[in-house]
Amino acid sequence: MNVLLVMIPLSILLLLGAAAAFFWAVDHDQFDDMDTPGLLPLDDSTRHDD
Amino acid sequence: MCCYGCRAAAEWIEQLGLADYYRLRTEPAPKPDGREDGAAAWQRPEIFRHVVRDLDADRRETMLLIEGVRCAACVWLIERALGAMPGIVRIQVNASARRARVVWRDAEITLPKILEALSRTGYRASPLDSQALNDVRRRESRDALKRLLVAGFGAMQAMMYAAVLYFGGNEALDPSTHELFRWLGFLAAMPVVFYSARPFFTGAMRSLRARQLGMDVPVALAIALIYAASLIEALRGGGHVYFDSVSMFVFFLLAGRYLEMRARHRAGDLTDALARLTPPFADLRRDDGTIERIGIHELRVGHQVHVSEGGIVPADGTLLDEQCRVDEALLSGESAPVVRRRGDMLIAGSVLVEGPAQLRVERVGADTALAGIAALVERAQAERPQLARAGERAASRFVMRVMILTALTAIAWSYFDPSRAFPAALAVLVVSCPCAFALAVPAAITRSLAVLARWGVLVVRPDAIQSLAETTHVVFDKTGTLTQPDLTVSNVETFNVASRESALRMAASLARESRHPAARAIAAACLGDHVEQASGIRSHSGLGLTAFVAGRELRLGRIDFALAGRADLCDCEDAVLLADDTGPIAAFWLTEKLQPGAHQAVDALGAQGLQVAIASGDSASKVEEVASRLGISQWRARQLPADKLAWLADLRANGARVMAVGDGVNDAPVLAGADVAVAVAGSAELAQASSDIVLVDGRLGSLAPARALAQRTLAILQQNQRWALFYNLTAVPVAALGFVPPWLAALGMSLSSVCVILNALRIGREEATP
Repeated sequence: MNVLLVMIPLSILLLLGAAAAFFWAVDHDQFDDMDTPGLLPLDDSTRHDD
Repeated sequence: MCCYGCRAAAEWIEQLGLADYYRLRTEPAPKPDGREDGAAAWQRPEIFRHVVRDLDADRRETMLLIEGVRCAACVWLIERALGAMPGIVRIQVNASARRARVVWRDAEITLPKILEALSRTGYRASPLDSQALNDVRRRESRDALKRLLVAGFGAMQAMMYAAVLYFGGNEALDPSTHELFRWLGFLAAMPVVFYSARPFFTGAMRSLRARQLGMDVPVALAIALIYAASLIEALRGGGHVYFDSVSMFVFFLLAGRYLEMRARHRAGDLTDALARLTPPFADLRRDDGTIERIGIHELRVGHQVHVSEGGIVPADGTLLDEQCRVDEALLSGESAPVVRRRGDMLIAGSVLVEGPAQLRVERVGADTALAGIAALVERAQAERPQLARAGERAASRFVMRVMILTALTAIAWSYFDPSRAFPAALAVLVVSCPCAFALAVPAAITRSLAVLARWGVLVVRPDAIQSLAETTHVVFDKTGTLTQPDLTVSNVETFNVASRESALRMAASLARESRHPAARAIAAACLGDHVEQASGIRSHSGLGLTAFVAGRELRLGRIDFALAGRADLCDCEDAVLLADDTGPIAAFWLTEKLQPGAHQAVDALGAQGLQVAIASGDSASKVEEVASRLGISQWRARQLPADKLAWLADLRANGARVMAVGDGVNDAPVLAGADVAVAVAGSAELAQASSDIVLVDGRLGSLAPARALAQRTLAILQQNQRWALFYNLTAVPVAALGFVPPWLAALGMSLSSVCVILNALRIGREEATP
């Protein structure tokens, strides 16, 4: 059972990482508009330089 | 394509690389109405300060409210058209909020230029007060999303650790591992209770301070009790902990609230609504005759204002000109533009159809009739019927009963065996709360919200589902809801030789030069046909048109104008007449066009046993005509918003549950005062903001199926609650007496939850899609 002492902290660390990534994404406008970005790949001429 | 002009235009669009707009769009766009705002005045410092925020020395930021944004294709077009302009740093359009955040460099481009570019693209934009940049809604939605995710992660972890405790049994785990998993569960539940569940605690505090027992109080109490009790159990090292249950409980409640918030944000709010109705500027006429464009909030009583044809009246005021014609449909519900003469009052927000006009400002800002309507909306909303909160009350009653049961269990056990009082009471609390309360109701409601949204029925307030199911009366507004705003030619009678088509062609050659709704209807009736050339067209204000076609003088208008004193020649009082010197040529009868599906919708609602009625601000003859065409016996005409509200209160006093369906600003107070308020898509913002349900694609046909679905939802909800009650009544005593091992109790609880969810999923499966 000693392996638990490694695996559980590891899983918690991964979880914290995922939560931090999600918070970052929310704060950087990733969830504000759920409709438009899905259409962008359909447009051949959109510039991707910004 | 109808002509070479269209073809050239289409090719030009193609060349510019903007043709993708037509490929991407999912909804037809509204037709431009030809109104124009002079954008240059936005540069005036008094106004500029109000709407623009300085980011640094050079960069400016503003929030634009954009009209006519329907779907993602519009967003694409706007972002592309504006993003390519030099000087624009960033543009970000939110389709559902109909707002755009723009950042630009003042040295390279100005705000009026940006607005002009937008209106060239076909979207009318107006900058919002710079406070809108703080964007309360965006913060609210981001906050809710984060809390939901933390609750989800926490609940998953807590359940995993709890599963070890349940299924590991006491034999497989040594005491220290057992202890470890308990504290891990505590760790996982900590952010859920202290971060995710905070809105429940603050809400509970707020309602306690207001001396009310709101929805949040029992929820917060249950969360706090389960968490605290589990912590005590963990510290004592005995009994059972419920960190998983409390996390799940919070997660489900937050998921329901998140869905509700999304729907609410889509429906718009009052501030936006008012910003859209009044123009941002007024053209002030100075004493020396010059006209200056000023911001609306600089306007004072006594100012003289010039309104050009097609413009919106900026403030209530008396007319100084001989006469003009205004469209007050938005405010009064009257379909036809009305003639106003010298000294009459013009109302802010109405559209000047025939002008121009000079007026003397009498009331500004909060004193205008428009602001009065907004105030009426707010009051009606505050006095919202108690029934709306019945769902909330039922839920909090249920939790209260569980609390009492818990207390009784604790007291009873402390007589017999004090050491078992605490775990037994906790078991009662846990077993009944999450299953019955956190799942039975939200699962059914959430499922039916999702089904309705797919049908184009956006439920803004989930409580509305209960009210919708219990509706007994439906009150429709007429103009814009049951009928389309445009007139249509219903019947043509020809005299002498003219055929129907040639008469229409002749009339259209005159009519297409006028903006009068009757003329527009006639012009639209012969769309695509070749129209004869007319010369010397003259508009006789309020009477009709004259012109020369093929050498003879034609007159189009009401009978006394067209036949000029020889009205005895034909018997057609209500018609629009086309005549020449020799006598009448044709008579055109105009009616309001019914909304597609209006008839079926009224029939279907009637078939469900509902009383259908019309309350309109329009004249009696028009309302009666529409009512008889739709087979509606109850109708009232010439109703002011306050009259409608009084009628509604009357109906409700006699025990009726009223659904109000409307679209205009004048309907907003009625909507706010009804048991269920339905706003039709494309309706005034104010109406949408005061409604419970928005018909996204404007199909009235969805109403009857939506009501059927709401009834089914209530039935399933009751089944769920009964099942939960039955399960609790059998399981709780047995578990409390110690006859059921923990793993069996856990399994039973989960299976019971699955039953409830599967039952909820039946909603919308058997109903016909409208």
